[in-house]
Amino acid sequence: MMKQIAKFRVNERHYELSIEPHVLLVEVLRDELGLTGTKHSCEIGNCGACTVLVDGRPVLSCLTLALTVQGRNITTIEGLAQGTTLHPIQKAFVDHAAIQCGYCTPGMILSAKALLDKNLNPTEQELKQALSGNLCRCTGYVKIVDAVAAAAEVISKEAST
Amino acid sequence: MIRKLSVVGRRIIQPDAAAKATGEALYASDITIPGMLIGKVLRSPYPHARIKRIDRSKAEKLPGVEAVITPEDTAQWKKFDRGLKDLPMIAGGYIVPPDEGILNERARHFGDAIAAVAAVNEHTAEEALELIEVEYEELSFVIDPEEAMKPGAPQISDFAEGNIGKHMSYPFAEGDVEKAFREADCIVEAAFGTTKQEHCTAETAAAVASLDISGRLTVWSQCQLAHMARREIAHIFNMPVHKVKIITPFIGGSFGQRGALCAEPVCIALALKTGKPVKLVYSREENFTALESRTGFKYNLRIGFKKDGTLTAMQIYMLGRLGGYMGCGPMASTVGMIFGLGHYRCPNRAGEADMVMTNTPMSGAFRGFGNPAIMWGIEQLVDEAAEKLGMDPIEIRLKNIKKAGELANMGLRLESTYLEECIKQGAEAIGWKEKQGKGKEGKIRRGVGMATMTHCSGAAPLYLDHSNASIKLNEDGSADLVVHPAPVGQHIWGALSQIAAEELGIQPEDINIVTGDTDVTLFEYGSDASRSTYAVGNATLIAARQAKEQILERAAKVLEVSPDELEISDRQISVRADQKKAISVAEVCYDAIYNFKGECLNISGKCSWESKWNSPPTGAFLAEVEVNTETGRVTVARLVTAMDCGKAINPMAVEGQLEGGMQQGIGYGLTEDYLINKDTGVVESVNYDSYKMPGILDMPETRVIIIDEPDPKGPFGAKGVGEPGMVGIAPAIANAIYDAIGVRIRDLPITPEKVLEALSDLRCK
Repeated sequence: MMKQIAKFRVNERHYELSIEPHVLLVEVLRDELGLTGTKHSCEIGNCGACTVLVDGRPVLSCLTLALTVQGRNITTIEGLAQGTTLHPIQKAFVDHAAIQCGYCTPGMILSAKALLDKNLNPTEQELKQALSGNLCRCTGYVKIVDAVAAAAEVISKEAST
Repeated sequence: MIRKLSVVGRRIIQPDAAAKATGEALYASDITIPGMLIGKVLRSPYPHARIKRIDRSKAEKLPGVEAVITPEDTAQWKKFDRGLKDLPMIAGGYIVPPDEGILNERARHFGDAIAAVAAVNEHTAEEALELIEVEYEELSFVIDPEEAMKPGAPQISDFAEGNIGKHMSYPFAEGDVEKAFREADCIVEAAFGTTKQEHCTAETAAAVASLDISGRLTVWSQCQLAHMARREIAHIFNMPVHKVKIITPFIGGSFGQRGALCAEPVCIALALKTGKPVKLVYSREENFTALESRTGFKYNLRIGFKKDGTLTAMQIYMLGRLGGYMGCGPMASTVGMIFGLGHYRCPNRAGEADMVMTNTPMSGAFRGFGNPAIMWGIEQLVDEAAEKLGMDPIEIRLKNIKKAGELANMGLRLESTYLEECIKQGAEAIGWKEKQGKGKEGKIRRGVGMATMTHCSGAAPLYLDHSNASIKLNEDGSADLVVHPAPVGQHIWGALSQIAAEELGIQPEDINIVTGDTDVTLFEYGSDASRSTYAVGNATLIAARQAKEQILERAAKVLEVSPDELEISDRQISVRADQKKAISVAEVCYDAIYNFKGECLNISGKCSWESKWNSPPTGAFLAEVEVNTETGRVTVARLVTAMDCGKAINPMAVEGQLEGGMQQGIGYGLTEDYLINKDTGVVESVNYDSYKMPGILDMPETRVIIIDEPDPKGPFGAKGVGEPGMVGIAPAIANAIYDAIGVRIRDLPITPEKVLEALSDLRCK
């Protein structure tokens, strides 16, 4: 298949790549850009490990043809921390031991970010709904719920001061 | 003297958590080496077939393909037992015949490895697989273990007559079971069924292998038992051990599945064939079909009681399904019997098991090993007996649980047990008195149920439980701790940092964990059997103690007192009687390294630890469920786990293990069913759309109670807690269902169909 020149904007950086039309966003991120924080797990959109944000909305990068998100604002887990300062959601996951093996963590954090960017005061049910596309085998989700709720509070406080 | 702990018991954050939260942490699937090829495996679409012909010529001609290998190529290397625990590890001479080839010319299960390719990228490798032409001769196959044992059933292995891969006996059989049953006042018995639960690790199996010009092989391996993987890989590929280096990267979930060799053998074969680095990452379907998952059982269980509720006899016969190769599966029966029949005080116990080969994907170790399977039955029958005897389920358990000083499940003295507290506190938390046994009516009915369990802290005395730790103190009083447990997400690095820091009087953040490289780390059995905190923790504690003694000796000279007058805490050594006389750990360490008085010493310690004890954790699980009597749907409303895991080194990490166990236990109990088509032998559960593991919306309200009483043998009193969390969840749910609607489901998982059928049978009675 003919390769095409494609322009991507990932974590505020611009990339120009020559890719085949069937290539998936997860492949571009991991294999071309070396952003291996985006994980490949079920390959068919069942588990959410490959979640990234496209214009702020959670997208499954294993089901997304890379060419369809050219020029859009793509955020991966590598784009959240400011230098060595963790994003409040990342910090909450660390502080609450919401991370065990860590393989679902990037997708989980990005789904949480999509929620909290829209709604800083989610009910527990809203919070769970927002994360229901992300599977975790280690934690039983308990500390993940705690972490996201705590992050919402921290971000709210930061916003009000 | 009871020592005041300052670091152990704290809810510290994990040293590796930030790397995982930012995407910086590298897993085997993330490793890239310049010039690296991508491997792919061609797998059998049939449950049992002979390969008549393989034509690889078209695949080899595809541009970008560097190697296509078939069983002919891998015949130069040894067959293996992927479970790793062959003769060198086990007490009592249990040997698994090495029956699995890297590639196999006779496929013994759907998904068996037939051929493999290495190519410049994944798409080319996938295309090449499609160009390999295979002519199969389909053979008759058998899926069900009972069918497999019948005369005339297809034979799966030469050594397994009647397809019985291994007959196993309960090693701690005792008393006269038949006599005890004759004399029992109440006998409960039933047949139970358990399933082949898949681990559903978030990261699929993956490996990277690279051969350098000197002939040294480096393997990035997810194996939980890195040093034993090294031994086995050297053996399979006819290499000396020092020519093999295993690097353990972060591991994206394991739960026992990575206790065996997974992607490594084929990946290494491709690297040796091409002379180039190769990465092999399994697809989700391969994770379901080409790896070991939980051993499924059918068993008959019989328990006898006296009128007053005293348990007098237990007997079990288990039939286990192994799959196409032996692997770790056989031990699931023995381990299950050890935990199950050894849980309660019972003078007459007997158990036998036939582990049967079938044309199905392999069986092996999964969190709890055989314990969840056997407690599924035991804890239901104990409830049945309680009802027959007119006792409360709590009362009958309290009467029969073991006390400290009695012999524990593995035949060693039970040093500590707080199961009674677990039961009482768990019952209180779920509201047992108010809810249990109360009249139920209406469409949606609620019920509560409980189950208990005993597990282990390591594999002694069954296996050789050998760990090593070394520690060196740097000139600023910080330390490098060299250990090699598997970082599967259990927060082990943090726990070991706490143990070392507590002993050395420094802080966990002063400890750098040096790990994951068999060139550097001393022998380590690895992370299974809930042993890392206990065994690697004890090795760490003693290594740290040696270093501490050197510190105190040097400090004593400076402070002009004897070492036993000193205490060490908060990075300071001070004279107990005169706290003003003090010196920092950093000063002592600096002076030892840069010593111009002819007394140079890098303060350090090293321990080769062999567990002679096993301190079983004990726990109680309580479930509250809602059953919809019209649809048969069971909803778990609340779960309480009360655990005696000794002293919790980090309570937050312990909670995480137990909460994770709840998710896996709910899945085991209600939804996870590994489906194989009976007519074709094709595996139908190959991803999360055909195998339901619980998501965040399936989780109930949860509560974890940690009893937090130290055990005399564990490091600072800790016991293992990795596996126990899921053991009793399913039977607690089953007992709660009985409390709600009066029916017993004995075959896992508890589907709405089974509930409705049981309700309909109840109405017909």
